[in-house]
Amino acid sequence: MSATMDRRRLLSTAVLGGAGIVGATALGSLAPEAAFAADPVPVEPGAPDPNFAEGRISKISGSMLLVTGSDAVLHSIRVTDGTSIWKLTPTTFDRIAIGDGMYARGLRLPDGTLAADSIWVNIVSLHAHVAAVGRNVLHLDHNGRRIVGHVVPGTTAAVYNGTPAVSDVSLLRVGRHVQVIGAWHPDTNEIDVATVYAAA
Amino acid sequence: MAAVIGEMSWFCCGNTWGPCGTVGHGACGTCNSGSLQHAWPNASDACLAITRPDACGVGLSRRTCGFRHYTTNLCTGSRIGTTIADCGPQTDLFCGETACCGSSCGSNRIIDLTPAAYSAIASLSSGLRPCSVDVV
Repeated sequence: MSATMDRRRLLSTAVLGGAGIVGATALGSLAPEAAFAADPVPVEPGAPDPNFAEGRISKISGSMLLVTGSDAVLHSIRVTDGTSIWKLTPTTFDRIAIGDGMYARGLRLPDGTLAADSIWVNIVSLHAHVAAVGRNVLHLDHNGRRIVGHVVPGTTAAVYNGTPAVSDVSLLRVGRHVQVIGAWHPDTNEIDVATVYAAA
Repeated sequence: MAAVIGEMSWFCCGNTWGPCGTVGHGACGTCNSGSLQHAWPNASDACLAITRPDACGVGLSRRTCGFRHYTTNLCTGSRIGTTIADCGPQTDLFCGETACCGSSCGSNRIIDLTPAAYSAIASLSSGLRPCSVDVV
């Protein structure tokens, strides 16, 4: 876990006052040195992970994301220059919108804020059957519900039975099982396909 | 149980947003995306009848709800401990599938992690990684 610890220390440094770090002055008197003095306490298997958050973004204030968790818990997510952001592809903070869903992993600060190491916006992992294939569109059967998956030229990749990813999705067959990593559209409930993993 | 080498992916469960909003708390009734949990293909007779890892030549021990496994990402060496909260993945639908990082490979889907667990050892955008699963 040395890589994780290095990342953790880098992140904490960034949050705590690196020049040019978004919102770095807002921590005030939280005595962060105490928070980072010790190694993180391991999380018990099965337990909620305090260094992880999920939910819908309800407000964006400066570099802070206010997120309403699916269990109704409110999260404050701090984004720094060191935060990696994914929304179909690696992207930037300005692409995040109110109403988006997200998963975030980072470091929980003493005030309850999560200093984000990584944020995945609207990401979904669907295990589905291919119901129909159209021009740049996949119709997926997921838990008995039909979901439209858009093939994004230049972005969507297909992995057929572990072979290297290719842009050609024409080998997908109706009725076959797939795993789709994609970005959900909150307004339409459709998705853009990042990667589709297809069985042989 | 010796460590089992295979593939890991991730899935959502519990109260959540988007297409995951309908999935519920899994076969054990305890599954939540924010908890360090996983799905296991041999969590019960009924589960095994669906997932059928044996159809791919994979023998997995019976482990029931709450049992603790440790999963190592073979791409990075990062490791996470989780407990069984659901049945899955459906191994037989991807028989023979192989994921590799350089010369480190795993074949057949043997474990699905929650987003909290998967993101602790891999990027969620990667979707699928070779792994080893152990009990210690």
